[in-house]
Amino acid sequence: MSESDEKEYVSMAVESARQMWGNEELKKIREQVERTAKAVYTVSNYPLEAETEPVILPRLKEK
Amino acid sequence: MDPYMLTVSEAIRQIREGTITPVKLAESLLNRIEKLEPTIEAWVTIHSERVMDEAEKATKEAEEGVYRSSLHGIPVGIKDIYYTAGMRTTMGSPIYSSFIPDYDAETVKRLKNAGAVVLGKTETTEFAVHDPAPTRNPWNTAHTPGGSSSGSAAAVSSGMCPIALGSQTGGSVVRPASYCGVVGVKPTYDLLPRDGVFPLSWSLDHVGFFTRSVEDAALVLDVLSGIEKPVPVMNVPPRIGLLSGYFKENAVPEVWTGFEQTVGTLWGEGANFTDVSLPDSFKLVPDVHRVIMAVEAASVHEDSFRTQRDDYRDYLKGFISSGLLVPASAYLRAQRIRRIILNDLLRLLKDYDCFICPASTDPAPKGLEWTGSPAFNAPWSLTGLPSMTVPMGFSDEKLPLGLQLIGRPYSEHMLFSIASWCESRLGFPRRPIDPITKCEP
Repeated sequence: MSESDEKEYVSMAVESARQMWGNEELKKIREQVERTAKAVYTVSNYPLEAETEPVILPRLKEK
Repeated sequence: MDPYMLTVSEAIRQIREGTITPVKLAESLLNRIEKLEPTIEAWVTIHSERVMDEAEKATKEAEEGVYRSSLHGIPVGIKDIYYTAGMRTTMGSPIYSSFIPDYDAETVKRLKNAGAVVLGKTETTEFAVHDPAPTRNPWNTAHTPGGSSSGSAAAVSSGMCPIALGSQTGGSVVRPASYCGVVGVKPTYDLLPRDGVFPLSWSLDHVGFFTRSVEDAALVLDVLSGIEKPVPVMNVPPRIGLLSGYFKENAVPEVWTGFEQTVGTLWGEGANFTDVSLPDSFKLVPDVHRVIMAVEAASVHEDSFRTQRDDYRDYLKGFISSGLLVPASAYLRAQRIRRIILNDLLRLLKDYDCFICPASTDPAPKGLEWTGSPAFNAPWSLTGLPSMTVPMGFSDEKLPLGLQLIGRPYSEHMLFSIASWCESRLGFPRRPIDPITKCEP
């Protein structure tokens, strides 16, 4: 996980957004796309044990 | 005292004693709304005639000795993302500007069955996300009331209704409650049904509510959950885990100073505080929360986004677009990390009755362009742990500051007990505030 890898990932996300919605639209949405892409990069690089299950609906205990 | 000033508990007592009627209470609140609404702009829809019809029905029942619940005859405000049969429900969006549901959200149904009177629909940010409502903070109308449950918080604070429903996906109940100086409750995930509440992010969405006292909050939760429980009496001072670290780093100085003063006051009253070190996984909260919320919001809006993209305001448009670009594996990874964060926090909570920290990073920001940061509330929306706020004091500009309490799953009544203990020692006024206009935003 490095700063340059993160930048590359964010650039890829921005480029995908440009291709999907065009240059004009990208101006309006770029900040959100970049912020989410940074979050994705961080999450994707957090080490996990294979058996860690996801929380889909966090039902915490019986009522 | 004019009835609009009463807390729920006081109003109930007076209705039962016959010193006021639900009709008088509703009239008083409608007059208050008429007077304040041009300044506060907390409401989207009010049907006065329907309100009075319901209030008359509740009055007749009370005269016959029929009290349907502890909220009989009490008017409530409903955030405008809750379906209300026959009443416009806009979600704060032009897409739904003329949408009239034909059924009530389950929580609205429960309130009506309990004899509560639906006063109207309160302002929300667009689809309960970011783009602001026009509502102003009664403590200083140049400042935001917070969001997304902007109208509900401002209406309760200014005495336009004693109870209002809100919802929280990041910080949309506890933060506006803190900014507006009222009690805000976000119960444990899935304790209250979300049926008929327009979703933002299913696995993060919580039904929540606002009142002006902790005692009132307990009454509301009993009706909404259908589980009546007494609030336990605190015979010994609570064991409280004091959260600093992330919270101290992200709070503006006057919020942290106010929090330390509050802790000092409660310590002087016998509260047992221990500093708690947050788990390493906690630093992932903002990113995990964002990935899950962006993807689920994108999924909720995907169909209408294809055909009505231009009807979304820029922030939400960007947020949904960003969610559509997230790989499925990243979303699942976020949910897997979420489990680790939750388990780490549950392990820590075992030794305490609750955690406390400030309810917001700052006092209500100036201007109406944004509704403030959810950074101190999102961890509890992500983990589903119950959280609530009680007012703890004021900023330098005399804006309210809130104390946030976080408990173990389904420990709401324990939280009420501790919050009530704090409330009685912090002495924040429970009466509605008359709007203070210092300058235009």
